[in-house]
Amino acid sequence: MGWITKETETAPCTVTISHRFEELSAHVRFDNGTTVNPGDTVQVQGPEILAAFGELVEEKRTAVITRASKLEQLWTRATGDFEFMELCEFSFSEEVLS
Amino acid sequence: MNMHSSDATTAEEAIAAQEALPPLTNEDATRVAMQNTLLTPRFYTTDFDEMDAIDVTPVRAEWDVLIAQMKADPNKGHFKKTADWDTVDWDGMEPKLKAEFIDFLISSCTAEFSGCVLYKEMKRRGSNEDITTLFQLMARDEARHAGFINDALREAGIAVNLGFLTQSKKYTYFRPKFIYYATYLSEKIGYARYITIFRHLEAHPEKRFHPIFKWFREWCNDEFSHGEAFALLMKTDPALTESRVNKMWIKFFLTAVFATMWVRDHQRPEFHKALGVDPAWYGQEVFRKTSEITRQVFPMTLDIDHPRWQPTLNRIQDANVQIAAGERQGGLGGKLKALGGRIKAGVNFVSLLTIPVQKNVVPDSPRLEPVY
Repeated sequence: MGWITKETETAPCTVTISHRFEELSAHVRFDNGTTVNPGDTVQVQGPEILAAFGELVEEKRTAVITRASKLEQLWTRATGDFEFMELCEFSFSEEVLS
Repeated sequence: MNMHSSDATTAEEAIAAQEALPPLTNEDATRVAMQNTLLTPRFYTTDFDEMDAIDVTPVRAEWDVLIAQMKADPNKGHFKKTADWDTVDWDGMEPKLKAEFIDFLISSCTAEFSGCVLYKEMKRRGSNEDITTLFQLMARDEARHAGFINDALREAGIAVNLGFLTQSKKYTYFRPKFIYYATYLSEKIGYARYITIFRHLEAHPEKRFHPIFKWFREWCNDEFSHGEAFALLMKTDPALTESRVNKMWIKFFLTAVFATMWVRDHQRPEFHKALGVDPAWYGQEVFRKTSEITRQVFPMTLDIDHPRWQPTLNRIQDANVQIAAGERQGGLGGKLKALGGRIKAGVNFVSLLTIPVQKNVVPDSPRLEPVY
């Protein structure tokens, strides 16, 4: 991992989307056991995966992982905590509606 | 005549009934049906080694009871549409109320959904069985809640789009302790928010403008037990709540969360008017319940009856209105106005932090049951 340079790698992944009454969820699992670290960016390749209501869709795809540079990783680690408010649930968006 | 989903006895029937609904014909409803809301959850990583190192031995007895209770899944049958799910008159709903209520549903759905993504990730990356079991159970509840809200959105003609998966996503980072403080508080305040509305509507059923509020009691019991699990987690390491620095963090968290809630609720006047609830009364009531609950693990509560408390919150709210007005206005004047608002909000937030806290002696056993 470079201090400033970013490296890109691909990983096979399984995308699971549940768009059902009893469960609404979506997850990406890397099939080769790789893990993501702070500041990394992940993009699943291919067209948008659509699950109609009532469906559970599982697809094998390829994910492109852009590894954060060492510097970016340290930065994300140091500053991530300040975004903690995103973890909190407030029932409403911050948007002003009227 | 199609069966309405409220007549369904099982989730499958409800789904089938939903699918069989005739297309919406009303012009306005059709326009709404075109809405496609992209869920945009955030993605997080944390120090998974640190999380794996948690040893629940000091709270083992209580831990096992709580996990067994969650595994038994008392709310399994709750999130189904029953005859109690009244028909909603979306067309007749006042447009501003409708906009605020839909914002409520989408935000709640996104929050449940993000919680599910976060908990599932922890379950997958961790290797400590106690911890992964907990996160698995919580992910289950969050996905269930999200599904239930999603269904209410579908009735309003709004389809959520899960296409975010193929968009580029950046992973941010939280230290485990920040996840404990934030999610603990979030789950407990969520309980207090839901139960306060539920009890209010029990006393004033004529104000219940949507059936989803009837489901709030069992719903918030899930939130309550998630909070209990985090309380126990924090109990495994006394430094998390007792060290000087962490005490300051806890005060900061409580203040930030309460202030944010105050501002957001005051931004949704129609929603609260329809429920017959004064946002200030509601805020204080939720703060009071949350404070009482958090005495189980936090070494302090905020002094919400301090003479400076409410006036300062109101000034933050005013500052927020100013920021929004400035941003809408645009140009240099608008930017300056927004900047002024930000400074005002910051100064007043610091002012809130200067209100002395009320010290709390934490009991040996943190476990509580939902009683409100």
